Amino acid sequence: MEALKLKLKQQIIEALNLQDTKPEDIDDNAPLFGEGLGLDSIDSLELMVLLERNYQIKVEDPREGRKILQSVQTMAEFITSKQVA
Amino acid sequence: MAERVFITGMGMISAIGNNVEENFRSLRAQQSGLGHTRYIETIHREVLPVGEVKLSTEELAERAGKPGSPEFTRTTLLGLAAMQEALMSAGISDPRELPAAFINASTVGGMCDTEKVYFDILDPEKEGTFLKYIDTLDCADCTQRIADETGIREYVTTISTACSSSANALMYGARLIQQGLVQRAVCGGTEALTRFTINGFNSLKNIDKQFCRPFDQQRNGLNLGEGAAYLVLESESLVRARKARVMAELSGWCNTNEAFHPTAPSPEGDGAFEAMRKALAMSGRAIADVQYVNVHGTATLNNDASEGKALERLFGTEVPKFSSTKPFTGHTLAAAGAIEAIFSVLAINRQMIFPNLNFSEKMEELGITPETKLLEEYPVRNVISNSFGFGGNNASLVFSKYEG
Amino acid sequence: MKAKCYIRGCAAISPQESFAGHFAPQLLTLEGKSMMRVKEPDYSGFIPPNSLRRMSRVLKMGLVAALQCLRNSNTSVPGAIITGTGRGSLQDTEKFLHNIRDYAETALNPTPFIQSTYNSVNGLIALQQQCTEYNNTFVHRGFSFEHAVLDSMMQLAEGNATEVLTGAFDEMTDEHFYIKSRIGYWKNELTQPAELLDSNTTGSISGEGATFFLFSSKPSDICLEGIKMVYKPSGEELQQALQAFLSSQDIAAEEIDLLVSGRNGDTQYGHFYDGVEGEFSDARVFYFKPYCGEYDTAGAFGLWAAVKELEIGPAKTVLLYNNFYGEQHTFMLLRKAAI
Repeated sequence: MEALKLKLKQQIIEALNLQDTKPEDIDDNAPLFGEGLGLDSIDSLELMVLLERNYQIKVEDPREGRKILQSVQTMAEFITSKQVA
Repeated sequence: MAERVFITGMGMISAIGNNVEENFRSLRAQQSGLGHTRYIETIHREVLPVGEVKLSTEELAERAGKPGSPEFTRTTLLGLAAMQEALMSAGISDPRELPAAFINASTVGGMCDTEKVYFDILDPEKEGTFLKYIDTLDCADCTQRIADETGIREYVTTISTACSSSANALMYGARLIQQGLVQRAVCGGTEALTRFTINGFNSLKNIDKQFCRPFDQQRNGLNLGEGAAYLVLESESLVRARKARVMAELSGWCNTNEAFHPTAPSPEGDGAFEAMRKALAMSGRAIADVQYVNVHGTATLNNDASEGKALERLFGTEVPKFSSTKPFTGHTLAAAGAIEAIFSVLAINRQMIFPNLNFSEKMEELGITPETKLLEEYPVRNVISNSFGFGGNNASLVFSKYEG
Repeated sequence: MKAKCYIRGCAAISPQESFAGHFAPQLLTLEGKSMMRVKEPDYSGFIPPNSLRRMSRVLKMGLVAALQCLRNSNTSVPGAIITGTGRGSLQDTEKFLHNIRDYAETALNPTPFIQSTYNSVNGLIALQQQCTEYNNTFVHRGFSFEHAVLDSMMQLAEGNATEVLTGAFDEMTDEHFYIKSRIGYWKNELTQPAELLDSNTTGSISGEGATFFLFSSKPSDICLEGIKMVYKPSGEELQQALQAFLSSQDIAAEEIDLLVSGRNGDTQYGHFYDGVEGEFSDARVFYFKPYCGEYDTAGAFGLWAAVKELEIGPAKTVLLYNNFYGEQHTFMLLRKAAI
């Protein structure tokens, strides 16, 4: 899980071009949107692309997406649950 | 006092008909044009419904008198079909008879055909007729070909403000007339379905796999469509001089910007509210004078919530009949404003309100619901037509019954 | 239409050192191909990092040229934002086309699609400056910027706005340079800007740029008196249109002391420039394409150069003439206002 979360952080930084952000700057449980990293709805679509390309997980419903993309922690848990299933 | 601007001709082609009368018959018969594409090569072919014109590009070329001319893209050919009808219906046999403007609208120009040969164009090893497509890459190409076929040349240009493009083209043409720069402007837009656009909207996750359901609680996105529509606008003095038949008056317009988000409208519909309010004020009509609003109503989660709020804010408890005609035609992007302008004029001239198809459940955030039945012999005198787009571009037009 | 249109401020990102506000024309030395690139300023002082990270090149160019123009004009929220672009964000359009192919239409990034929309720069300017007023984008080769100017003049004449932010932006990519080379847009052999006008060959040097103006109905030093566009004229029709324009502006050819000419070194269209320049034998001629290259909205750089000439003098009355590959022709008349 820890390795997955670190990898996710690196992938998020690259996908969203968060130039001055390092993986250690992102707290596992900090909200990605709004206050936290200050991401917006277009970023959430970009993160869904990230999940699909790197983890073969397709999120169809934007409302479901919002739950999965709350934080790095929720993303990692979702990926793990899909991989087990 | 600026001159009044009248509509003296209309021409169109869409998924529900190849001319204005066919479109009207489909609206009246409540016959949607949505279905699966026959002409686009895409993996989404069987999954995402579209509103496609029921003619192949070859058939369109044949009808336009341009067979075997690959430089006439589907975008151009759709536009030519609508243009020829518009001029004919205005009783204009020679568009060169006076200096006129052609104000076109497009979102991706000739992408429909260019995308098929794009990688051949990039390949230095490849030569052939596809090189004729290179100039069709931009938005100006279709405009110029249509202008050159008709001979209109005093002002020739193209507007691209996403989904409000042709509403802005109508506004711009009307203003050229009011400023005395021309007496006649043919305005509207043309849009062909492309793999580019289908994938673009799909990447935004706002295409419904079912037929779109505007203003419904369960709505889940739009369906793309294609088509073209042009309206002939003329100054009052020209109309009188040549005794032209007037179909309606373009009595008010307004363009605003949301300044909220690159693709989403403000939740309270600030831009939509202002656009409708100012357009109505310009027309000199009061809120109670509006019998029908042809809403933008794309059936995306954001648009309908925001536009519905704006309607409630403007009209309070007296919201007039409103419907989205996109379940008939699909969202035709740059052509939508002009297509729906024609539907607005038809509502006035045929005294009819067209139904909002596929509606069943009221949205929880709104107190209003769209008209779901065809209303005949309904006294329509003033119509607001809305077109809202990416980049926060909003446009509202007011059409009024001509009373001399 | 009679409305005074004063130029309160301007800004240009171009292949020249133009962003600081002065124009000291430099003929560049090109390597490899006949293509000039803009000198990009540091964008970080203009756009918050969180917005900057997603933007592609022409979006940054367009937005920052617009913001600099507003700064130079001491304005923050104009009454309208109107632009022209021939190609919009080529980089994003190309990226999305490639992604569709490379990923076989699955899992596509939405950002290039959103940014490929021609009005995205306008939307960004409106968003950043919180301008909710009139907003329009023209996309028609050599009539993109020019219609943005006409629209702006109408906005002022209508009293709908007293200040309009008007501009143009276009970029060139290697991919699009190659595409256009296949139909003769550029000179086949590497041609230096210094040789452009005497090369005696077809095609031109590719250019790019983002240029903005703040037009105002309130009097200031430089006034844009009028604009006339002419679509696909013959040489004779162009001459007639020029005479009609001058007489509509109540000005004699001898009163023009500077002609800013868009001559682009393409022998196919030289005769249009010969004809126009021949009418102003007493005027000094300034050719601006050797400094910015040829592109759909190069006319905006031409207007910027004309404004800079009027600022430093001695020119008092300037006529700008430009055409884009012989199809879209435009005249603009500028005067140093007597205040």
